[in-house]
Amino acid sequence: MVYIFDGTKLGFLTAFLLAYEDGNALLTSHAVQLPLGESFISVTTDSDKAKRVERRLLTFDTDALHALDRLLRSGMENHEQIAFRYFKKLATEKRPIDKNFADPDVFAAVECMKKVGHEIHKMHGFVRFMELENGALYAPISPDNDICDLLLPHFRARLPEYPFVIHDVTRKKAAVYDGKNAFVAPLGTADVLISADEEGWQKLWKNYYKAVNIPSRERLKQMRGYMPVRYWKFLPEKQETPNSFE
Amino acid sequence: MITEERLKILTESAKYDVSCSSSGSARKNEGGMGNGYVAGCCHSFTPDGRCISLLKILLSNDCIYNCKYCPNRLDADVPRATATPEEICELTIDFYKRNYIEGLFLSSAVCKNPDYTMERLLLTVKKLRLEYNFHGYIHLKGIPKADPLLMKEAGRYADRMSYNIELPSEKSLKLLAPQKSKESLLLPMKTLAMQTAQFREEKKKGLIKGHFLPAGQTTQMIIGASPEADGQILRLTQALYQKNGLRRVYYSSYVPIVHDSLLPDTAVGQLREHRLYQADWLLRFYGFSVEELLSENENLATEFDPKCAWALKNMQLFPVEINRAPLEMLLRVPGIGSKNAYKIMEARKYTKLSFEDLVKMRIALKRARHFITCNGKFFGEKNEYSVRGLLAAAETGENAKQLDLFSILSSPQNAMIALSGQL
Repeated sequence: MVYIFDGTKLGFLTAFLLAYEDGNALLTSHAVQLPLGESFISVTTDSDKAKRVERRLLTFDTDALHALDRLLRSGMENHEQIAFRYFKKLATEKRPIDKNFADPDVFAAVECMKKVGHEIHKMHGFVRFMELENGALYAPISPDNDICDLLLPHFRARLPEYPFVIHDVTRKKAAVYDGKNAFVAPLGTADVLISADEEGWQKLWKNYYKAVNIPSRERLKQMRGYMPVRYWKFLPEKQETPNSFE
Repeated sequence: MITEERLKILTESAKYDVSCSSSGSARKNEGGMGNGYVAGCCHSFTPDGRCISLLKILLSNDCIYNCKYCPNRLDADVPRATATPEEICELTIDFYKRNYIEGLFLSSAVCKNPDYTMERLLLTVKKLRLEYNFHGYIHLKGIPKADPLLMKEAGRYADRMSYNIELPSEKSLKLLAPQKSKESLLLPMKTLAMQTAQFREEKKKGLIKGHFLPAGQTTQMIIGASPEADGQILRLTQALYQKNGLRRVYYSSYVPIVHDSLLPDTAVGQLREHRLYQADWLLRFYGFSVEELLSENENLATEFDPKCAWALKNMQLFPVEINRAPLEMLLRVPGIGSKNAYKIMEARKYTKLSFEDLVKMRIALKRARHFITCNGKFFGEKNEYSVRGLLAAAETGENAKQLDLFSILSSPQNAMIALSGQL
């Protein structure tokens, strides 16, 4: 049976309860091509039931909710199924299983969470702000995982005097810090007016990037390994012309 | 805003310094801009595979010294430039604000005299901290022979300082950098170590507040411009870690940017640099001492990594049982790194690990299988000569990849390494 839920934490936990006894359960929130002869259940989120499951899982592992949050943020196609198998195992074992690396379900979940964690770290480096006319900062991103709000604490701590917007252009949402409060808001396209100096600084940065390279030691494969091409779109140093956004 | 031309000159003059890490400081934002990031953070990667973490720049490349290997030496016919402290501060702030960089790596050629140069560097760093309220990472290069009081003050503002040891022996220094001596390079490191200890003591007693080089000291030496063997180089390294409390020693394989009859005309293969970093890692994270690895006049094997070479010399210690071996021994198994040793330690609490389990955990077994048993079963080659052959073959096939891995080692703020705590 395929259990289709709304992608939220409570939706997952409701589906988890429904699917727990089902040996062939498949959990997903995407429109999927059903395997031949397979039927599906559209899960209606029941927050009371979900909270009960949540409390139960927490008694087995105090980190369970953190793990669930990471797994649901993953951009991997089968991440919800990975989460299901992981929590099913946790509910069976009734003790923390997160370090049982020899278990394939645990290993898959750990790798999935690791990818999310790594991307957060990567984005701490690869976010590129542009200065806007009003002095605020704007950075478009397109990460593999749904993490833009998890970037807020980092940038808020280091740039407390600058309002900023980190815009996940793929998921059409933005992590916003208005100078006082941080929050997430839906955001389709952004009309931004860059400051008069912005182009000059971008040019200087591109100049620096070129100058600090040692051409006789070219190792492009390695550069791409650390900084995959899919992240280049928003890096001024990897653009031929100054980064401008209409 | 600094001109593009001067930025280019001052960057190109600084780029051969290999240190670029931004790890080790937890400095807080105390109103203003920036903070430390203990794990370090890479912001970009250049086509040479190196990372950009800090704005690496010279305050000036106008030098009174004439070190043979240096592109900025007095005799060199290169364009000269000097930046003002304001220009450096502005550049740092505007780059940092846009999240291009994690902080500043500031160095300088020796202009006029060491004290004058150190004063200019200190002035820049103080301005950045006090006037621009910048709390991001600052790595400051120390100028040898400058007044210890200037060093002491600099330590209060910088996160990390480094004095480059340049060449691994006094003899080579005399030949290639006649205005520097081993003593003039080692003394400031010792002084800084003492000043750090003194500061910590006073802070503990509540007599003083603030920071003193929270990310410690590092150094770098050029490999292959002079004839020292790896054994000698690594003995110096070990002494620097143990006696002077250095956080990192960087190795920079010699690139002939300067032509001089006293210098070799060919670049040192990066394999040598790679092997030195591997051995360096063994000293710091794997519990090895240099005496176990090689003698003073020996070079590291090129055909195997240093841990393989050590294991082949100590076959009587192997195979070790993966389900029982203590961490110290797991760390000594060729092919098993610190992350995988940790994974094994944790996973075996749940179940007796079989060879298949290790495969499922994606532990690389190409080398390791000759040195371990899983539940008493051995999956490697028994004949020692065959093991040698297989290990060498594994290495040759991987050589290109191995070399790619090199920059993981020379850019420690790499995320993976940061997460494995190898900083």
